[in-house]
Amino acid sequence: MTAVLEPATRTPAPAHRRRGRAGHRSDQLFLLPAVLFVAVTVVYPLVYSVLQAFQDVGLREVIRGGAEWVGVANFADQFGRPEFWQALWLSLVYTVGTVALSYAGGLALALLFVHRFAGRNVMRALLMLAWILPTVVGANVWRWLLDGSYGLLNAVLRGIGLIDGDVFWLGQPGPALASVIVATAWSFAPFAMILLVAALQGVPATLYEAARIDGATAWQQFRHVTLPGLRPVSITVMLLIFIFAFKTFDTIYLMTRGGPGGATLTLPLYAFQEAFEFRRYDTAAVATTVMLIVPLVLSVFYFRSLREEEAA
Amino acid sequence: MTRERVRLVVAVAVTAIYLVPVYWMLNTSFKEQAEVFARPPALVPVPPTIAAYRTAVFGDPDIARGLLNTFVIATGTTILTLVVAVPAAYALARLRIRWVTPALLLFLAVQMIPAVNLALPMFVLFGRVGLVNTYAGLIVANCSLSIPLAITIMRPYFLSVPGEVLEAARVDGCTTFGAFVRVALPVSIPGVITMAVVSFLGAWGEFVFGLALATGDELQPISVVIAKLTNAFGTRWNELMAVSAVVAVPVIVLFVLLQRYIVAGLTDGATKG
Repeated sequence: MTAVLEPATRTPAPAHRRRGRAGHRSDQLFLLPAVLFVAVTVVYPLVYSVLQAFQDVGLREVIRGGAEWVGVANFADQFGRPEFWQALWLSLVYTVGTVALSYAGGLALALLFVHRFAGRNVMRALLMLAWILPTVVGANVWRWLLDGSYGLLNAVLRGIGLIDGDVFWLGQPGPALASVIVATAWSFAPFAMILLVAALQGVPATLYEAARIDGATAWQQFRHVTLPGLRPVSITVMLLIFIFAFKTFDTIYLMTRGGPGGATLTLPLYAFQEAFEFRRYDTAAVATTVMLIVPLVLSVFYFRSLREEEAA
Repeated sequence: MTRERVRLVVAVAVTAIYLVPVYWMLNTSFKEQAEVFARPPALVPVPPTIAAYRTAVFGDPDIARGLLNTFVIATGTTILTLVVAVPAAYALARLRIRWVTPALLLFLAVQMIPAVNLALPMFVLFGRVGLVNTYAGLIVANCSLSIPLAITIMRPYFLSVPGEVLEAARVDGCTTFGAFVRVALPVSIPGVITMAVVSFLGAWGEFVFGLALATGDELQPISVVIAKLTNAFGTRWNELMAVSAVVAVPVIVLFVLLQRYIVAGLTDGATKG
């Protein structure tokens, strides 16, 4: 079993070590550490957490162990709470809003940056900064931009006469939710742009020529050539951003802590709060278990779209 | 004006507006405390001062320790990720082994899992084995995200190594490991760089694991330290922006140096199986 770890020798490999159809068994050792690592640090905690949802787990049980099985009592408890449904609803609004804004922004950027002009690559790279910047940085900068009294946004809005006095964007439920969506989409849109630029370059130029010959306007070309041509990549982009957004914790936590009054308390923040503030590890596990279902369903779609892309 | 000119002008304007948040961070970080509260705010810090950097970044032991912790965690994560993910990616790309498809699906699927879903049970399980509030625990937690991503980034690079080259190495007497180290790895260095940088940057900005697993002050990464100090910094925006800028700088430097690799890596990891 350790043969694979021996330093390479210049002697010819004996015939029995040459790979057959199945390959040498010790080759499996290349993959084994990664599989074991993921099994222990991802799969096991996930299973453990799902099991916790069916137990009575408070701080005492976490420290001493010995949690009792309670069946579906935790689920019944959570499903009877308006706060839980509120968190799930907010998660969906936040996620769908982020997907829509990121995709629209990314597509607009892609339509501009697919063309050739001086400095295009440099500017594309600069835009990617928004995506690559740590969320902790982006979230704090957005909080500062949106500050009611001294923030840049209000200064600009006051300057052009749109508002009068201070608007506390993060202090009111609706605007706070819109703000975290904008801040998230700001960082996701350049990611969408990069994938969509590549896809735009793949739309055959002959299709546009044909459309022009048929007298199609720019809008008709966009509607009937560009968008259908982008479809597979668009689906991938939207699915990926949906998954990214649905699991977002840091941006929201750093900008609003889930507030004001729970107006941005999406499911990940709700679960975190249940566990680390209220020490209700069991109901937190219910929330995270529900959170697993969405990416699970979506990943099925994602794999299917990947397969279609490969087949195409 | 030609069409190209118009596009150039629009693109410059769009890029400039898009990067206003980044500019505003730098602008504020070079302002005096009093200047931060000017209405309307000054678009350029006059005169620019590094006072905020001096007090917040170099004068505050919590911040300095947070930066050091983040560096240790990100470096450890990168090394462990390289050691575990590179051979796995090679095996999935070029070795005839069992379970290739299930393993690929596993590594792709776990990337969809929210970090919160892992942080909560990890807090309990790591507590049992003494990993809460240790560098090792934070590194392992970060690797649970970075290793699957690194494998998906790395695999296409190994796939592009021609099988005949590896076969030739084998005929010349290389073991599987020899062919991997001497033939496949050297031509896949861009992939290794990409995944190392992506792993490092991921851990550098990581927040959820730090918040859940670094319960004491001593080992908290900078992301958590900033979040904790946010209230204390409530009115000291210039200092908060200075710290944010310092956190952003390594990211920007790595990005500028390795832009080609990173963009390719991020998009590859996202689209290719």
